Parts: sequence; structure tokens; C-alpha cells
Amino acid sequence: MIEFMTTVLGFILAMLALGLVRILRGPADADRMMAAQLIGTGGIAALLLLGTVTAVPATVDVALTLALLATFASIAFVKKGRANAPDSTGDA
Amino acid sequence: MTVASALEMALAAVVLGVATWTIAARETFAAVVGFVTYGLLLALIWVRLDAVDVALVEAAIGGGLGGVLLLGAAARLRVTETPTATERPSATVRVGAALLSAAVAAALATGVILLPDPAPTLAPAAAANATATGLGNPVTNVLMAFRAMDTMLEKVVLLLALVGVWSLAPDRLWGGHPGPRHRADPLGTLAFLARLLPPVGIVVGIYVFWTGKDHPGGAFQGGTILAAMWLLVMMAGIADAPQVSSRRLRIVLIAGPGIFLAVGLAGFAIGSAFLAYPVAYAKPLILGIEVAMTLTIAATLGLLLAGAPERSAGQ
Repeated sequence: MIEFMTTVLGFILAMLALGLVRILRGPADADRMMAAQLIGTGGIAALLLLGTVTAVPATVDVALTLALLATFASIAFVKKGRANAPDSTGDA
Repeated sequence: MTVASALEMALAAVVLGVATWTIAARETFAAVVGFVTYGLLLALIWVRLDAVDVALVEAAIGGGLGGVLLLGAAARLRVTETPTATERPSATVRVGAALLSAAVAAALATGVILLPDPAPTLAPAAAANATATGLGNPVTNVLMAFRAMDTMLEKVVLLLALVGVWSLAPDRLWGGHPGPRHRADPLGTLAFLARLLPPVGIVVGIYVFWTGKDHPGGAFQGGTILAAMWLLVMMAGIADAPQVSSRRLRIVLIAGPGIFLAVGLAGFAIGSAFLAYPVAYAKPLILGIEVAMTLTIAATLGLLLAGAPERSAGQ
């Protein structure tokens, strides 16, 4: 089971590395932001698997924190993006 | 080489790659997104190094609130970006900067390589005295008991940083509300999220603080999560940021370092020295300080991100 989970972890990390390509290449800000979100989600999965493989239960708390806070960059992105628009109502 | 160590090597290489790219990126926004991603990946590495306490901070600050702060800065700097990008410093400046950077990196590398093996450490001493406070998490022991002075002063530094941000306000707006008044569609996604997430987040924040006495976690991590929830409610326009002249707010802001200092001074009378806890009451005293500190950290970080006062009272 541990081997299987390590393999899955490797697969997820490979997907995260693929997501990095979008951050590196862009071209638009939104593309980069969405890729960062993808990496946040994948990071949660990787943390949960890593915690199980290495038998460190506290890793679940790190995954929990990431799950709560990873969205914040996107929220700020949407707010700031709109704040610069001419009809600055800050709707999101 | 096992699969696990191959994965570790690959992860380390990817993180180094992201770090290099973040430094080299010309566009501020791209660099910020690179930095947020770097924080997320670094949390994985800290877990792998068995430093789960650090991983929690990295996830909360590097992956969460730090990103919000830097995105705000990038949005503010956007107008100046085009003129800056076309500027090219002279060759002397560039060669000088490269030499200086290389010298600093070389000095740091030499310092790390020349460390005696095994490196000097107080970890065994900290572990041997872990029972003195009744707390199970050695990191909390060091932060709240063995090096309590540093932790107390850190909270004062946070307050000074907040005073620094507030002092950017023009005189006529002093004491007003920080940041713009956020408005969002009350039936929109953001308002929905701002009603759905905070109840869960507040429970998680308190849990992370409470579990910190025996497991990875603590006041700073818990306070950061609480601050994020408060910011979410402010950004969705559900609640306005309080006036910085509010007395209640200021009491919360000084509660953490204030109670810490009071307990420290009481150490002269009931303990053996400044910040020495009497052994029988060490755990309740530390937890009491941490409750106040969690609130102070949540309020300070929330206000630091909200920014300088931009509106006078009632606006």
C-alpha cells in the first residue's frame, strides 16, 4: 500500500510540475492565477498522501490550513483586478 | 536510490527552479504568483524535513496571506511597471549588483559548509527539559518558555509594523477606517464564500492554536487563520474594517504582548526571574498568554493587510 501511495504521490507531483509550465508561460495573469490554484489543490492532495506515507498525522493540519487559505490569493486577484477597472465597484 | 528519495530530489529541484524563475521574472505579477507557488511547494519540503510547525506557518503565510499582500502591492505598482521595465541600469551597476549578490551567496554557502559536524544544537537540552512546562510540543516549549523573551518581543515588532502602516495615513484621515470600503454583490460568489467559510475557519483556527500545546500548531498559525477569515468578511463587504482609533480594537492589539509582559514581570514575585513561570502553574499561564496572543495576532495581521486609514470616520 505504501508503494502504491508513493507512486500516486509521484504522479501528483508530476502534475504539479506540469501546472508550473502554465505559471512560467502565462500568457495572461488569470492563467497564472488559475495554475497557482491548481497547484494549491494538488499540494493538499500531496500533503495528505505524504502524511500517510511518512506516518506524520499532523500533516493533515497543514493540508487543512492550505485548503482554507489557498483560495485567498484568487480572491485578492479578483478584487484587485476589478478595483483598477473604470467602474470600480469591487464586485466579485 | 529509492522511489521516495528520487521524489525528494525532484521536488527540491522543482522548488529551486521556481525560486530562480521568481527572481528572474520581469513582470511583478508573474513573480508574485511564482512566489505563492514557491510557498506552497516549500510547505511540502518542510513536512518532509519533519518540521510540521514550520510547514503550517509556510502554508498560512507563504501560501495564504503573504500572497494577498504581494498581489495588492503588484496591483498598486502596475502603473509604474512599464516605465521601470524599459529602464536599463548601466553596466557598472549591473556588474556591481551581480558581484555583491555572488559574494553574499558565497559567504552564506561557506558558513553552512564550515559548520562542525554534528552542528551545534540545543535540541537535546530542549527535549530533556520538556516535562518542565507540561506541554508536549517541543516547539511551543521553546517559543513560550525557554525563549519566551524572543516571542514577546516579536509581538511588539508586529505592533510596531502596524504603527508603521498606520502612519502612512494623511493627518485628516488619522483614526479612520483602513483600506477602501469593499462592496460586493450580496448574492454573489464572494459574499456566499464569506458566509460559508468563516464558521469553519474560526473552528479550525482555534483548533490549530489549541492543538499547538502537544502537537504542531500554535498561536501564530491559529491567529493567521483567524485573520484570514476576518479579511474575507471585510473583502466581501459584509463587515467594515473598524476605525483604528477604536478603543476596543486597541485593547485587543495590546492584549497579547501586554499579558505576556505582565506575566513576565510577575515572574519576579511568584517565580525566580523575569518570564520564569512557577512550575505548578506553567501550563495554564502559557495557555492564557497564548489565548491573548492568538487574538492579538489575528487582529494585527488582519489590519496589516487592510492597510493604512483611507477614510475618515463614518465614510
